[in-house]
Amino acid sequence: MGLKVLLLIARRHLFHNLFRTGVSVSGVAIGVTFMVMLSALMTGFETKFVRETIESSPHVTIYDEYRGQTDEFAAWTSRQMGGVARVDSARPRETVRRIKKPLEILKALRALPEIAACAPNVTGTAIMNFGTRERGMNLVGIVPEDQEAVSSLDKYIQDARIYDLYASGGALLLGYGVAEKLGAKKGDTVSIKLRNGDSRALRVIGVFRTGITTIDYARGYTLLSVAQQLLGLGRDVNQIVVRLHDYSSARAAASKIEHLVRYRTESWQEANENFLSIFVIQQIITYLVTGGIMIVAAFGILNVLIMLVMEKLPEIAMLKSMGFTAFDITLVFLLEGLAIGVLGVLVGCVLGYYLTEFVGSLPIKQTGLVESEHLVMNNVPRLYVVAGVAALVCTVLASVLPALRAGRLDPVVTLRGHA
Amino acid sequence: MSLDAIRERGKPVLQLVNLVRVLGEGETATEVLHGLNLTVTQGEFCAIVGPSGSGKSTLMYLLGALDKPTSGQVIIDGSDVSTLDDDGLARLRNEKLGFIFQFHYLLPEFTALENVMMPMFKLGVPAAEARERAQALLDQLGIGTKSHRTPGRLSGGEQQRVAVARSLANQPLIVLGDEPTGNLDTVNSDNVFAIFETLAREQHQTIVVVTHDLDQAARTDRIIRIVDGRIVDDGPTQDVLARVEREEAERRSALKPHA
Ligand SMILES: Nc1ncnc2c1ncn2[C@@H]1O[C@H](COP(=O)(O)OP(=O)(O)O)[C@@H](O)[C@H]1O
Ligand SMILES: [Mg+2]
Repeated sequence: MGLKVLLLIARRHLFHNLFRTGVSVSGVAIGVTFMVMLSALMTGFETKFVRETIESSPHVTIYDEYRGQTDEFAAWTSRQMGGVARVDSARPRETVRRIKKPLEILKALRALPEIAACAPNVTGTAIMNFGTRERGMNLVGIVPEDQEAVSSLDKYIQDARIYDLYASGGALLLGYGVAEKLGAKKGDTVSIKLRNGDSRALRVIGVFRTGITTIDYARGYTLLSVAQQLLGLGRDVNQIVVRLHDYSSARAAASKIEHLVRYRTESWQEANENFLSIFVIQQIITYLVTGGIMIVAAFGILNVLIMLVMEKLPEIAMLKSMGFTAFDITLVFLLEGLAIGVLGVLVGCVLGYYLTEFVGSLPIKQTGLVESEHLVMNNVPRLYVVAGVAALVCTVLASVLPALRAGRLDPVVTLRGHA
Repeated sequence: MSLDAIRERGKPVLQLVNLVRVLGEGETATEVLHGLNLTVTQGEFCAIVGPSGSGKSTLMYLLGALDKPTSGQVIIDGSDVSTLDDDGLARLRNEKLGFIFQFHYLLPEFTALENVMMPMFKLGVPAAEARERAQALLDQLGIGTKSHRTPGRLSGGEQQRVAVARSLANQPLIVLGDEPTGNLDTVNSDNVFAIFETLAREQHQTIVVVTHDLDQAARTDRIIRIVDGRIVDDGPTQDVLARVEREEAERRSALKPHA
């Protein structure tokens, strides 16, 4: 009952001056609209990048850097001399770095509960020739079904399947950027120059396009055995790629695996550290900008409520003389602030949705880290919840001061002023 | 009828004990009320008269529990105002007091009827009952047909009558009016005083009104004269009026040159 009257009074105040109410609701609404749109824009890029990265890159990569004793001679010397002599700057021996006994390692990895899949890779830089054009490329030898289980590739290939790699001895899948730069198409034969100067012909059986520029412009896939042969690794590999059940735990998993297999590992976060740190800065900017917008809106509400309280001095005195308490009066103005906030949030969410969709539909081509025909907008419910809660908190905070002041007003001062 | 005879009719509802009120602070601090003692019993119809600036409004705010004394006591229906917190004071005002100001403050966003219902809403009277009672009060004050108008569409006199109706909404023990008919014409002001009379006589409500109009004051039971923050005269209406008339006559004769 008590609250009902207060709600009624608050509602009448708001309806009595629709223009003023409209202006303050608009202030909040505009704040929420832009907060939603800006966060969608700012996180859109990051979300797309992360989604595509965890989709098309391994979550953890094991490299061919052995973490056990690196120099056997130095260790041996040290042991022989009882630790008295130390060998400084022992030069590493000139060998092809490799991961030895890959099958055993793969078997051990597959036994780990957090690992969803793993696959052996042989990677190396190769120079490719097509006609008169020459380009360096990152050649990756894979076992198609193992690779597909770790990172999606098949769905990015145009007019071919990943299993077509089995079709002929020298099949090659090219990143579309590489293919474009070379001028090679599906069906063309390119020649790969090896370290020892020999060259070998590989047939392009398809072109893939993941949308991640660093992959599309640098990589080509062939069968593991072909790459082993080309890069002189015999039966060894130089990378093992891993997919986890939970991509977000990659850092922990990477160090666990490193401990287990004694080769250096890298999580996808480490691999993309520089990009992810840009995203952190980007997030900070987003919060600063949208926070600024909300604070401006909050000051708008503060202003409107202070004006409202000033205007309602006689009514406040009257309500008090009728038996309304300071708390009742405070609640009336808090309710008004809250109502403005709630309305503003609702309107802002609707406008924010459409503005986000609109901005996302503008034909603004993006190239670079991630490719897209439009700005990538992350139009998800979470943004609305965050913007809504932030706006409500701001409006309530902005209402508190004028509302408390209204409650504390001494009716006698007002009454004397008039008498 | 003597004051004692009036007092025998009921219990004391308003008591002032050595009431002092200092207004302002520091340099501008002024003692406006200098130790007033007063008892008003239930059902009394009192007028407070006195020159402008004598402290009548200050006294009314204290009687209405809107203000607290600097020293001394204001006891309303047995409760010492100084001992009550904000909630206690608010409840006291809501349940036991009805206030009418000179400048008829109505809530501009509400109709006449809703304005009258407002104290009842606060008290928790069911809406239907509140509406019925508010309409009856407005009818009684002759503005029943305009109950759905907002203050902006009522004349000053009509607004003031709505304010009177509102002060009576919760059938208060004490109705306080600070020059409630100050802006009304004679007919309307007669009407309001007639209602006060009825309330006091038939419903044993206590009425305390500040007025400048001695003709209206003549309808009350008791007149309290205040000059410069002191009660200079207090007694049954006829006696006080007689003394006032005598004073006036003396002053006139003093002014008149001896023939
Ligand atoms: N804040 C204040 N500080 C000092 N004196 C004040 C203050 N407010 C009012 N007064 C004085 O108190 C006296 C009583 O005022 P008031 O109660 O309004 O008189 P009345 O209602 O009888 O005209 C006046 O003389 C006025 O000047
Ligand atoms: Mg006055």
